[in-house]
Amino acid sequence: MKRYTIDPITRLEGHGKVEIFCTDDGDVEDVYFQVPELRGFEKFLEGRAVEEASQIVTKICGVCPGCHHMASGKAIDAVFGVKPTPTAIKLRELFYMAHFVHSHIAHFYALAAPDFVVGPTAPAAERNVLGVIAKVGVEIGTEVLKQRRIAQEIQALLGGHQTHVVMNTPGGVRKGLTEEERKDIEEKAKGFVEFAKFSLKIFNDVVLENKTYVDIILNGPYSLNLYSMGLVDENNKVNFYDGKVRVVDQEGNEHCKYAPEDYLDWVEERVEPYSYLKYPYLKQIGWKGFVEGKDSGVYHATPLARLNVADGMATPLAQEQYEHMFSTLGGKPVHATLAMHWARLVELLYSAERAVELAQDKEITSQDLQAELPNVPKEGVGIVEAQRGTLTHHYWTDEKGIITKANIIVGTTNNNAAISMSLKKAAQGLIKKGVTVDEGILNMVEMAFRAYDPCFSCATHSLPGNMPLEVIFRDMNGNITRQVKRK
Amino acid sequence: MEKKKILVHGIGNEILTDDGIGPKLVKKLKGNLPGNEIDFETAFLGGLEVLDFIQGYQTVVFVDAIRTKDGIPGTVYQLSPKDFNKTLHLSSVHDVSFLTAVQLGKKLGLDMPQNIFIIAVEIVEDRIFNDNFTPQIAKKYEEIYTEVKAIAEKIIAGEASWR
Repeated sequence: MKRYTIDPITRLEGHGKVEIFCTDDGDVEDVYFQVPELRGFEKFLEGRAVEEASQIVTKICGVCPGCHHMASGKAIDAVFGVKPTPTAIKLRELFYMAHFVHSHIAHFYALAAPDFVVGPTAPAAERNVLGVIAKVGVEIGTEVLKQRRIAQEIQALLGGHQTHVVMNTPGGVRKGLTEEERKDIEEKAKGFVEFAKFSLKIFNDVVLENKTYVDIILNGPYSLNLYSMGLVDENNKVNFYDGKVRVVDQEGNEHCKYAPEDYLDWVEERVEPYSYLKYPYLKQIGWKGFVEGKDSGVYHATPLARLNVADGMATPLAQEQYEHMFSTLGGKPVHATLAMHWARLVELLYSAERAVELAQDKEITSQDLQAELPNVPKEGVGIVEAQRGTLTHHYWTDEKGIITKANIIVGTTNNNAAISMSLKKAAQGLIKKGVTVDEGILNMVEMAFRAYDPCFSCATHSLPGNMPLEVIFRDMNGNITRQVKRK
Repeated sequence: MEKKKILVHGIGNEILTDDGIGPKLVKKLKGNLPGNEIDFETAFLGGLEVLDFIQGYQTVVFVDAIRTKDGIPGTVYQLSPKDFNKTLHLSSVHDVSFLTAVQLGKKLGLDMPQNIFIIAVEIVEDRIFNDNFTPQIAKKYEEIYTEVKAIAEKIIAGEASWR
């Protein structure tokens, strides 16, 4: 048996490793996806005042601090049994839309686009954001950085800092918005809408107009028949900040729709001996292993899953794109992993439009920022959609509000089983007897999980070194027979 | 527009045991380096995030953590951008590597620093959440600070040849 190791995974936050085991004939027998998890964050919270948690959790991860801040803030509201004022909720959501704009732009142009704009098997030295800019032009590169930076500035304005966010208080927010600031954000958000439309046009021109790429998306080894999970509002439209968690099956039928506080009735976490990351699954269906289908409790919580579970988008232009996507891909739900990139861009447009709506809301400049806290703190759950999946924070406190226990299920963790299965399927489809396993093939295997935009910073530390791709071939005795390193 | 002078930038997570040594050292350096044309900043990550910070400076000094095979905890290294891949954060971004970000900045005509220096400190633990250093690093912290400060002063005085 041969063993291939991709270590660490390129272009992703966190240090992950993929091991591909092949038979002597060259076919893939199994694939293991391993992540060395950071340890002790939930313990770190214990003994601390719950109202401090939303600031502490921003330090779990430098990639999506805003998501942890929001989920934590909502959990703290629940601990105190308080609903924030309408203005506070709108300000939080406005911040969150800017967070999504910033993150989705970075993922599409820096992580996803190189595979499509430059090419999935192009030389690694060219297959990066510089290669993308070489193809699409310097002006677009400048615009990418500009829009991303503007989104960061809005977060810094509303959140106090773009990464060390200090926005939320129990039942409110610390700072309101002036009319001048509101006008400025409104104009900037309109710019996001134009940029999101432009990004969808690039996707259309580069990917959808290319028959080979469409074929890879629809017919390549990048499809998984899983349950989908995502947050929806009262009209079952996609919502990132608030609502209920909805899960649909492989045909789009509702499996469940639950309030945050009920998550433990529907989701359970499994531990595998070879990975530090847990594997959440649908409790009512049960864990049947890494298998697809209705009898398996494996689900994914991704941009595509969010669109799969929803009845539509809450903003008009995103709704048009939502309809276009599903009609092009053969109806809902879609199980093509690479369609996550398209779904992410639909979400980018939704975030931009929603930011405009919120910035135009008359209530957004009200100074009614803080609800009263009449209750003794106890226990609370907060759920938001992080860019990478449904994010749950659950805190238990004593009567003084000191955290006695915490449980966090981060976005990427939801997709741990799905990512492992996607990798195996891609590897089995691409690595076969007679196929030379070159760097291009390995990149196409990596594309299977890159679509998830997985970020293991919540669970893992940074990449050590220059993100090399190292492939190790081993014989049945574990001896290295060949070694390939990408610098 | 006249360029700002120097940025001293610490990178790492301060509640991840030794990982936050860069930001902690930079906070301590603030106000303790000669001259008043120095800005101080801290962040979690490198790459595009850093690109936002470093534009417009003549010289940027990064203070980061590093883990090398058989490295002695507390050892202070002087690295150049071509060695960026050896430190823990300058290559660690959600989007692109630090070097790619710098190349991107140049390609897009951004006002990039003329000189980039990296000071890296060998650490022990960076995967357990804790706001204290490991005993090995805690014991040597003052020594590490003194060494890093001396290197930073040399850079500020224009006496550092590596970059």
